[in-house]
Parts: sequence; structure tokens; C-alpha cells
Amino acid sequence: MSARPDPFTIEVIRNALTAIAEEMSLVVMRAARSPLLREAGDLSSALTDANGNLIAQGRDIPAHLGVMGSTVQEFLKRVPAERLSPGDVWFLNLPETGGNHLPDVKAIRPVFAEGEVQAYAVSLAHWADIGGAKPGSYVPDARDAWQEGFRIPPLRVFTADGPDREKLDVILANVRGAEEREGDILAQMASCRSADERLQDVFARYGAATIRAAISDLHDQSEAEMRAALRTLPQGIYEGVDWLDDDGAGGTPIAVRVRVDIGDGEATFDFSDTDDAALGPLNATPFTASASVFYAVKAIAGPDIQPNAGCARPLNIVTRPGSLLNPPVERPVVGGNHETSQRIVDAIFNAMKDVVPERLTAGGSTTSGLLLFSGRDPRTDRWTTLYEVHGGGEGARHDRDGMPVVRPHMSNVMNTPAEVIEANYPIMIDCQALRRGSGGCGAHRGGDGQQRIYRITGPEVWLTTMVERCVIPPYGLQGGEAGEPFRITLERPSGEICTLTGKTHVRLEKGDRIVMETSGGGGFGSVIA
Amino acid sequence: MMDGSWKVGVDIGGTFTDVIAIDASSGEVRTAKVRSQTSDPVASIVSAYRAIGVGWESVSDLMHGTTMATNAIVEGNLAPVALVATEGFRDTIEIGRQNRRELYRLDVTPKLPPLVPEERRLEVRGRIDAQGSVITPLSDEECERIAAAVVELGVDAVAVALQQCFTNTEHETKLGERLEGSASYVALSHRMNPEPREFERTNTTILNAALMPLTAGYLNELEGAAGSGTNLHLFHSAGGMASVPVVKERPLTLALSGPAAGVAAAGKIANELGLDNAIGFDMGGTTTDTCVVIDGKVQISSDQRLAGRPVRQLMVAVESIGAGGGSIARSEGSAVRVGPDSAGAEPGPACYGLGGEQPTVTDANMVLGFMNTDRLLGGVIRLDPERARSSVKPLSDAFGIPIQETALGIYRVANASMARALRRVTVERGVDARSCALIAFGGAGPMHAVALAREFGIARVVVPKFSSVFSALGCLTAEFSYAEQYAVRMSSTSWDGDRVAELCAVMKDRLAAPIVAAGHDCGSIVTRCVALVRYAGQSDTVEVPFDLPLDPKSLGADFRVRHERLYGFATEEAWELDTLRLTASAASRSDITDLLEAEVSESTMPIATAECWFDSHGALPTPRYERGALPVDWRVGGPAIIEDNWSTIVVPPGAKAWTDATNHLIVEAGDAA
Repeated sequence: MSARPDPFTIEVIRNALTAIAEEMSLVVMRAARSPLLREAGDLSSALTDANGNLIAQGRDIPAHLGVMGSTVQEFLKRVPAERLSPGDVWFLNLPETGGNHLPDVKAIRPVFAEGEVQAYAVSLAHWADIGGAKPGSYVPDARDAWQEGFRIPPLRVFTADGPDREKLDVILANVRGAEEREGDILAQMASCRSADERLQDVFARYGAATIRAAISDLHDQSEAEMRAALRTLPQGIYEGVDWLDDDGAGGTPIAVRVRVDIGDGEATFDFSDTDDAALGPLNATPFTASASVFYAVKAIAGPDIQPNAGCARPLNIVTRPGSLLNPPVERPVVGGNHETSQRIVDAIFNAMKDVVPERLTAGGSTTSGLLLFSGRDPRTDRWTTLYEVHGGGEGARHDRDGMPVVRPHMSNVMNTPAEVIEANYPIMIDCQALRRGSGGCGAHRGGDGQQRIYRITGPEVWLTTMVERCVIPPYGLQGGEAGEPFRITLERPSGEICTLTGKTHVRLEKGDRIVMETSGGGGFGSVIA
Repeated sequence: MMDGSWKVGVDIGGTFTDVIAIDASSGEVRTAKVRSQTSDPVASIVSAYRAIGVGWESVSDLMHGTTMATNAIVEGNLAPVALVATEGFRDTIEIGRQNRRELYRLDVTPKLPPLVPEERRLEVRGRIDAQGSVITPLSDEECERIAAAVVELGVDAVAVALQQCFTNTEHETKLGERLEGSASYVALSHRMNPEPREFERTNTTILNAALMPLTAGYLNELEGAAGSGTNLHLFHSAGGMASVPVVKERPLTLALSGPAAGVAAAGKIANELGLDNAIGFDMGGTTTDTCVVIDGKVQISSDQRLAGRPVRQLMVAVESIGAGGGSIARSEGSAVRVGPDSAGAEPGPACYGLGGEQPTVTDANMVLGFMNTDRLLGGVIRLDPERARSSVKPLSDAFGIPIQETALGIYRVANASMARALRRVTVERGVDARSCALIAFGGAGPMHAVALAREFGIARVVVPKFSSVFSALGCLTAEFSYAEQYAVRMSSTSWDGDRVAELCAVMKDRLAAPIVAAGHDCGSIVTRCVALVRYAGQSDTVEVPFDLPLDPKSLGADFRVRHERLYGFATEEAWELDTLRLTASAASRSDITDLLEAEVSESTMPIATAECWFDSHGALPTPRYERGALPVDWRVGGPAIIEDNWSTIVVPPGAKAWTDATNHLIVEAGDAA
């Protein structure tokens, strides 16, 4: 290993590597077919070193932090580096192989320089369908992993000679919307290829030894940033809890419990006391748990920490095998990625609520608020699936009210404009308005949620819900009141009205209206009488 | 009154007003740079005129770019507006797209507050669906009720933005007509942005309405000052000239007026020098603006943001990077960062001696010897090398690296972060930066251009003549042109050739009307057509130029060729015509080359020799040349510095520079030797 390059050279290399990861995301967004990728940007890109340690991330999506690096490390446990060749692109989506849930499919390309693997380019994209029991691959009543969709162990789909058509066909035969999926696969491949080409320039210019030394230094820098951030928190042991409404299999709220032990520039997050694995699809992998912890620490103590493998070093994350956050492989997980991950953040905030209240935000709509409409559009006779997430009120802070209608914490996916929905799906939007008065009271008020009304214009549409905070409302802090919980109401033309649960699947007919009311944020501080 | 013979281009920027003028009878060219008077733009024009010694009466054409609209939006100095939205949708502007600005900063408010507060948001009953059918009619009584409510609010400006209005304009038009007597200014969303996405379209319409009173006031004043002898034109954001009546109705079209003029000039230079692909690189004190010219065409985009607000209209695709000469270098533990903090114009870099103490990129350039201390920057600021050195010293001490190498490090990191931004600009446009020439202008651009070119493998850098009044030059040489686009969304499998032909004909006539009204012959108008095409389900579209009448077969074939080039693959699937974009232009007024009668050389001898530091060379004696004195076909090998009062061109060792027949300076980047 060569001597440490000077700090300016390291910074120049950091810019070059980050530019490559950013370019990967742009390539996927431009070329992909599914609205989730192109509009909502539900994707991540990253470079790791030869051992799978994260070097640089493109667009920084909290839910994918920590997943990108573990994917390569777990991949290498199953596929030794000797089996890799230049030009390969491998695909995989197994949650237990460094992953989170089946729809997030990763493409991995080994990057060779000076005769050996120097780095990996990873492109993660949320496919709008990965097969399984329901269109859109969100199966609220899934009771095992195989009902959730097609499981891809590490599979070499591209070599330097091009695609392996048979393998591609196996994948496409097992997912809905083969054309759209093939477009997504090609986009991920193109993204990895562009990273390889750019990295070749960088390695040629500086030499592998200098790059390795620079990467090692970048890891040290992030480690130091993380330790400095942790030192801004008072040392001690703090316990917190938050609850899932239910797991979609009926039953009562499920607890996520954390014991936070802040030491001197290091911290342990022990989730051992969390409830056992759920029957329904609300389990989360330990990799998802890590991503949530990274998010919470960054939000509370160090927003500017550069995301790479170095920031994981001072953190010790413990999950108990058999629990909600370390489930047996046969348990379903699809909702854990964006619902249970948010519970983890809320549990950590709960633990810190009297320690650093001025750094926290009261409870918000920490759920994707997912409504998935599938049906044949009579205008085009095509099967369409609308995957729509809903923000609610932001929690208040010690010095300001919460804002109305935002996506909090682990996700930041945008809504689909009403006009785009009406043009592409057999649905009319009758109203999108603030849900006034839904924010919790307090010295500072929580933000208001929203009300959006969907009216079905086709003969038959299926609705899947994956929504939390219908039962457990967003919490207030320091005496502030909770916000209103989510409420999903089905209104039939016959006058029949019923409330839907947060994890259900229901058939809708022409004229039916779904009234989606999202939660308000929690208030901060007591109202002074 | 005698008509004057001067054609004048003026760009009123935030700090300086640039002017370039040509006398049509003698061919004489004059340029100047004066301080802008932000509170009184007409006074800025007057002082620019004074600086070049012409009066209103001798000006035949004033072509003018201004940051007035930009500043009003950035500073929130906007007229109060009433919004009329469809029943059930008045909160759309407050809901927005529900994403937050900062992922990890909980202290930052996640969104901007809405442009129109709740009490001025009205809802009107009447509904149109995505196919343009009226679901609920808009009654006369509703129109009356809204008009009365607007009067009650007592606002001058109204924005009307109804759901699906672009599929059927009936309701907006009817409301607009009824509102004419109730408010002085009315903006209708289907005229501003006839495309789906209610949040973005509504914001665009509100911004336009909010700018109308301010702009009308300014233009009336300007018309009064200019009198009837001067033809007034304004530079619009899509890279052409617009007449005063057009701008009064659509002031938002001035949103990128100044930068667009610079981009247009870069596009012209690229065309005149025969460069197919080029990157415009305008580095200033706090920001760096970049743009891309592909196949000789300045790139246009319809989806940009201004001060965090979405703006949907055709504008030159300028990417602004928050890095410039004022970017501050600092250490963070063992790491070093340059920017995003900036010393800005106040206090500015340490070497300006205006109170800045932190080391900036400009201070690094000073330490490296690039800037001439004998010269007053812009004729005003005396540069202080000692202050530059003492600002860099703490970093040098912290890292144990000699001061010049520290400065060199700052210079390299600044280039690397700009390279990262340039990479994004070129990748988004699907162009390989290595195929581009770099056209550098603005104060600091030419100092970094060659190093940046090497970072990318770009072979050639052009520093145009008049580079310091480049936007004004863009104004002077611009053509009348108007552009608009319309969302069509037609699949290749259900092609309706008649509808496309009709849409094109209507757009073409509408675009030509103000050009004809400005006195141009209908036959001299050139129409350029671009189709935005994608595979069904894709988000981004590919720009495919076509000729009228549109032939779907060749459009499909051209689309696949371009898709393959951009993304590395193309399939035989059905495609979709998403949007039609047409641009109508009057014949070009004047080529830049025509303005550039090369002057007789005074001297080719260096004005001085100084020590400069370049990558891995240590100090090298470097001759300095006065740019204005250089003859055509003059050549020099690096290291050399070529300078004038406004900018410094660094030619490092291994590079070669020469002046072409029209006194543009060309640098062959070469390799760092």
C-alpha cells in the first residue's frame, strides 16, 4: 500500500467517485420504464471496495443506506470473487442476502483494474412488480416468503458478451409487466456499465494503490465524523419503544423496543427485547434495521456525515434471531422495509425524547401510506397499477409548528399528480385538500395531514393498503398532543360506508370512492392555559 | 426625429450592467461595464449609454436582458395574487409533491410556504376530465361569484389554474374573459404551460401573475425613456428576443434572461467556429453557470426550478453550480472541503481587502500568481497578495503542506467539484464531454478552463472576444424567436396524422404572429420542430427534430437511433409522441464575426513576467500578455497568462494558445507535462 495521498488528492478522488455514483442514478432514472423509478426515484446507486465496503453513494435514500454495502458483502459469501469476470452483471433480491425486500432488486458489476477486482458497482431499483400473489407484489395477507414474489439468488444475467437470454426469460416469466421489467433490467445494466467505464479512467489516472489508500482514508474520515456526532450526545443508557398497528394477520400492536447505549464516540443499539417475528409481512431484515439506525443517528446528531462504510464502525447494532428484526427466512417482509423501518426510527426518537428533545421532531406520518390500485383501464384495455404513497403532517419541533403534508424520515417519494392519475388509470381525483385540524395541539402544533378522494371509473379495480398509524397515532413530545391517525374510508354509491384497515385487499367497482385521510403531526410542548 | 444608427445590447446583472453597441453605418463597436443600480433599472441603462457615449436618440434598437424577474422571485418581492382553482383543489399548492428538501436536517422546514395564502385561494365549480370532456359545466353565476370574490380581495393580479384545462381550454378562457374587468392582470394556466401536473403548472401561473404588475411598470417607464425612435426588445429565457407586448403578458419568460443571453452567445460562437458540441462555462464569484450545445443547438428544458419553486416553461438548460471564485476552503478533521460556503461579493475573497479572511478559490489563484497585482480588478479593486497568503496559511499549517501546494490543492479541488457538476450536465443530456469544446467566459471561467478541460479529456478551450460582456453580446446578436410546447401523448399504434398536422399548424401561426407584428416578413420566418418521444411507460423523453409535415415512420426510426445513442439500447416496441415543441425565429440579425473587425496589433511583447505555480512544476517564470493588444494569428505556448481588466486566461505548461482571425482566443489543452 502506498503512502497516504495528500488531503487535496483525496478530496479530488472523493469527488470523482461520488460523481460516478451520481451518474449511475441518473442513467437508471432516464432509461427506466416504471413510474416508481422515473418519477419517484425509488432507487439507489453505490460503489464499494473489493471487500464490499461502501465507498460512495449516488442519491442518498435513507432506506437503502446500509443495504448497499451489505448486499455486496453477503453476495461475496455466496459467490467467491474467483468466479467473477469483467463485464459481468449479477442480479439478486434475496432479503437474507444483505437485502430488504423482494421488489428492491440489486445489480452488481465487478470492476477490474490491474488484473483484479478493485470495486463493485451496485444499482438498486424498486421493481413495480416482482410476481407473487398480488399485482404490485404487496401482499398484506402473505404468510410466507414465497407468496411475496420471485426470489432471485445471485444470478449472472449479463456477461461481457451480452445478456444470457434464458436467464432473463426466467425472470421475466415470473413477474408482471415483462416489457416494463425488461426496460428496468437494461437500465440497471447500463448504469453499472457506465460506472465501470468511468472507474477505468480513475484507476488509470491515479493507480489502484493510490485509490485504495484514498478510500481507506475516506472511511477513516467518516468514522471520525460519526464518532464526533455521537460525542454530541450525553453518554448513558436510554430505552425506547414504538408499536406497529398490527402485522396484517389480525392481532394486536407489535412492539419495537430499543436500548440505546451511548458511550464515548460509540453507541450500541440493542433491539433484543423487540417482539417475535410477525406472521404477516411486517418483518424487517437486520440490514433494514441498520439503515434505520444510520438514519436516526444522522438526523439527530450528524446530518453531514458522508455515507460510507466508515460510519458503521462506531455503531453496534444487535437484533435477536427469531425476532421481528431478524426473522426466519421463510417469514414475509415486504412491508418491513418502509413500515417497520420507520418504527425503528420512532423507537430511537422515543428513547431520546428527554435526552435531546430540541433535536427531535414529534411523531409524523411515519408510514408509506401506500394505496395500490390495480385494474383494467376500459379506455385502453390495458392492465394498470397505480402505486401511490401519501404524506401526512410533520411533527412539531421545540421552536416551530410542523408543516402540512410531507413524507417523514426513511422515505421521500413524491406523490403522483391528480392529472397524471386521471390520464393513466381508471380513477378520478375528486379532491385533494388539507385535513384541517388533524395536527396535534401543543406549544407548537403538528402539521395537518391531507385528504385525497379517489373515485373509480372502471368496472373493476383491486385496492391493496399498506398503511401504519391507523391505530397508533403520531406521538406528541414534551406534553404536546398526538396527531389524528390515518383513516381510509370506502364509500359505495349505494350509500354504504365502511372504514378499511391499514393492511387489506378489497375489490372496488365503478362509482366507489376511497377517502384517504392521512395523519396529522404530533404537537411539541404543553399548551399554556 | 432622425433615427439613430446604433444597435445596443445591454445586460443588467445583479452587480454590473454590461453593454456592447455597434454603429450600423460605420461598423464601430463600443463596450463598457458599469455598476447596476438595482432599484432603478432604467438608470442602469442610462449610465451604460453614458459610458459608451451614445444617447437615446442615436439608438435604433435596444436589445436587453435583465435579472429583474429573477431577483423579484428570489427575493420574494412579488405582487399579491388571487388563485382560482377547481373545486376541491385549492390546497394543491400547499400539498405540493409532499417530498422534503433536506433528508437529514430536521430543523429545516421541509417545504417552502405556498405562493398564495389560504385566504386568497378561491375554488370554482366546473370539471373537465383527462379526455377534455366537460363533467360539470362552468355556469355564468359561478363566474360572477368568482369575479365578485376577486374584487372583494382587492388584488390586482389573478392566476387561474383549473384541473385538466390543457385538454379543453373552455373553462379557463371563460373565466379569464369574465375576470378582465375585475383585476388588471390575469394569467391563465393553459397559456403558460399546457401540460399535466397541476402543482407545477399552478405555481408557474402564479409566478407569472405576480410578476405582471412589476414588469408592466418597468416596461412602461422604459418605453417612455426610449421614445418612439428606439425599437425595444427583451431577451427571454428560451434564448431569443421577445417584443414588449409579449413580455408584458408573460413576464415569467424573463426568468433566466441574463444567463440565457450568455448561453445564446455561446451557441453562436460554437456555430461560427464550426463546433458541433460545446459546454458553456461561466464562472462567477458565487455561482458557476453551465450549459450544453449539442449538434450546434443550445439545449432547452421545460422543467426547472427557480428559488426552489417549479417553473414549467421553455428555458435554456442552464445548470447553476453553487461554486465560484468566492467558495471557501476549510479543513474538517483530516479532510479538506471547498465550498459550498462562499465569501460572495461581500466581504469577498481575502485578497479584495474588503474584510474577508477565509481562504477562497480566488485567494488560491492569487497565491499561485495567476492574477496581476499591478492591475485594478474591474478597474476598481486593488488585489492584495499578502492577504491572500495569510488566508491560506492556516490550512497550510494544519496539513503541513507548503503554502503554494496548499493553494494548488484548493485549485484542484475546486476544479474537481465543478467537473462533478459538469459531468451531471452532460450525462443528463446524453453527450460525451470529451466531444465538446469548452467555451469559457465570466470573470473566473478562463482561469480554470484549461485545468477543467484536462480533467475531462476536453481538447479545446475557447475564450471568446468580448467574454466579459458576453450576455450583452448575446442580446446584441440575438434573433426574434418564440417557442412553445404542447402535451400530445399519442401512441404510434393509434396515430392521428390529421390531429398532429392541425396542432403544428396552429402552433406555427401563433408563434409567427408577434414576429410578423414586429415587422418581419412572414416568408423569412424559420420554424424548427422537435418531437419529445419515448417508449410507453418511460419518463424521460428523447428530443427528435423533424420537418413538417411529420412522417411517423421516420420519426420512429430517428427516435430509436437517438435512444440507442443515449442509453445504449433500443427496442422495436411501440413509442409515444409525448410533446410537440416548435420554435419560430426571424432571420438572424448579425453574426458575432461581423462585429469583430480585428484591431491592429499594438504589441506582442509580454507586459510583465511573474512566477506562477502549476501542477508539479514548482514556480515557473510566466509571461503576461495584454489581451486587447494581441494581433490575429498570434501564438504562444504555456506557461503564459493573457489578461484584461475583467478576466485572466491561464495557459499552463503543455498547452498552446492562439488568436484566430476574429480574435477569439483558442487554447489547445494538451497534457499536463
